[in-house]
Amino acid sequence: MSIPLSRTRDLVAALQAELGARDPMPPVGPIPEIQLPPDRIFPTPQRRSNFAERSAAHTTALVGIGQVGTRYYSDVVLQFQAELAVAHGAVATELPSDWAEKKGYLSLQSRVTGHREFLLRPDLGRRLNAESVALLREKAKKNVDVQPILADGLSAVACMGAGPDLMRLFVEACERRGWSVGTPVCAKFSRVWLEDEIGEITGAKVAVILLGERPGLGTGDGLSAYLVYGPKVGNTDSNRNMMSNIHARGTPPAEAAQRLAVLTGAMLEQKTSGVPLDLSPLVAELGEIARGGYRAPQQRVRLVELP
Amino acid sequence: MPILQPILPKILSVRRIPGASEALLRAYGADPSRHRSLGLITVDQDDPTYVALDEATKHAQVDVVYARSFYAGSRHTSGPLSGEILGVIAAADPDEIDEGLKALIACLEQDACFYTASDDGQIAVFPHVISSLGHYLSALSGLPVGSAMAYLVAPPMEASIGIDAALKAADVRAMKIFPPPTETNFAAAWLGGELDACEAAAMAFASTVIDVGRSPRER
Repeated sequence: MSIPLSRTRDLVAALQAELGARDPMPPVGPIPEIQLPPDRIFPTPQRRSNFAERSAAHTTALVGIGQVGTRYYSDVVLQFQAELAVAHGAVATELPSDWAEKKGYLSLQSRVTGHREFLLRPDLGRRLNAESVALLREKAKKNVDVQPILADGLSAVACMGAGPDLMRLFVEACERRGWSVGTPVCAKFSRVWLEDEIGEITGAKVAVILLGERPGLGTGDGLSAYLVYGPKVGNTDSNRNMMSNIHARGTPPAEAAQRLAVLTGAMLEQKTSGVPLDLSPLVAELGEIARGGYRAPQQRVRLVELP
Repeated sequence: MPILQPILPKILSVRRIPGASEALLRAYGADPSRHRSLGLITVDQDDPTYVALDEATKHAQVDVVYARSFYAGSRHTSGPLSGEILGVIAAADPDEIDEGLKALIACLEQDACFYTASDDGQIAVFPHVISSLGHYLSALSGLPVGSAMAYLVAPPMEASIGIDAALKAADVRAMKIFPPPTETNFAAAWLGGELDACEAAAMAFASTVIDVGRSPRER
């Protein structure tokens, strides 16, 4: 039903517009008092799960580290940052050009000309430059059983740290077994596959490169060793055997040198390396590692202490 | 919330008694010789309902026999259907009641209502202008049927200042002033005059009510 309406609503709307134009914003209300948050929002859990406790003992990885609400403990965060800094520092370190000569090694260099190029161009790090090829042809012993190579790899810190010790111990272990050992060389800006070209030029049966491995959290000083039978340019990783984590908290250099000698012996005997190499007869000498799978308990090294 | 937003009245119940008992007719002020049927309505706003009841008398042969506000308003009600007012129209037959209720409801839904008079909506104002009085409010106000009337309602302080401003704003006469407290604790005034004068007075009343709400203490 429609009835004639009064004009009241129109009048009020007009009055509203008039008042709104005069005073467009409503007055600001009082700001409510803001309560401070409580001092501590998340209680610290008192017990740690048995699983976390026992898994964490077997790795330096960040497992079983607990949480505060949805975050890590400050302790864990600080530790992580310190460990990351160690890794960054190791990658950024460059092997001094005269270091190899001072240590009495034949000094070689890959085709890489600078540290940045080394990080960005792995392909150049796998081939020797022309001077090094000439030097190697001129000075190195040829047709040896074992060619030992020390290299910086991704951690010059590790190379300069445990490198000379491991080199010496490995060479001694080889000589004790009666093998002919090539001239010890040290390569700068080197990637693993450089061992193929060096071994090919010296005519070695087995080439062994000991080089700084890609730094992990808190581990900037680890060495890896890669062994290949019949080194030649064009070999792939399936032709190689390797041993990683050669450092004080992993496999100590003395023990690593013995294991590397055992591996080298197996290569000389079976005349092959990598996937075809049968490690099963070596269980007695290499221990459980020949079967794979087991890892001895490891201890995290504290880089930061909280008060 | 902006000021002067309509606060629409809520119709809580509408019932008819086509043949009411004589005692009830008498009790609610009807005349059994003329009235046989009743229409009853409850609403949560009383003043729009008085206006709407008057509107009904213009569209049907009905009399407003009973209309009373409840004490302290719809926030202190006796039940969910009670609201703020019970209005009763009476007629000789149910068809007239139907027509009257239709006009009454249309007026409540589309025309008469309170408006917000403060930013938080806590102050309400009723600055309604009836352009043509029916015989119900005509009789109560003393104005002739068909004349204009400003029907002004607000809380006590706002209304008191507002009525004074309205009387000074235009050529209007105070027909009735209801000082506080009324049943609902508001205060009200009925002003008579030409339609233009009533509208000017009503708007002066509304803006004064808003002003009082914004500065309750004299500056």
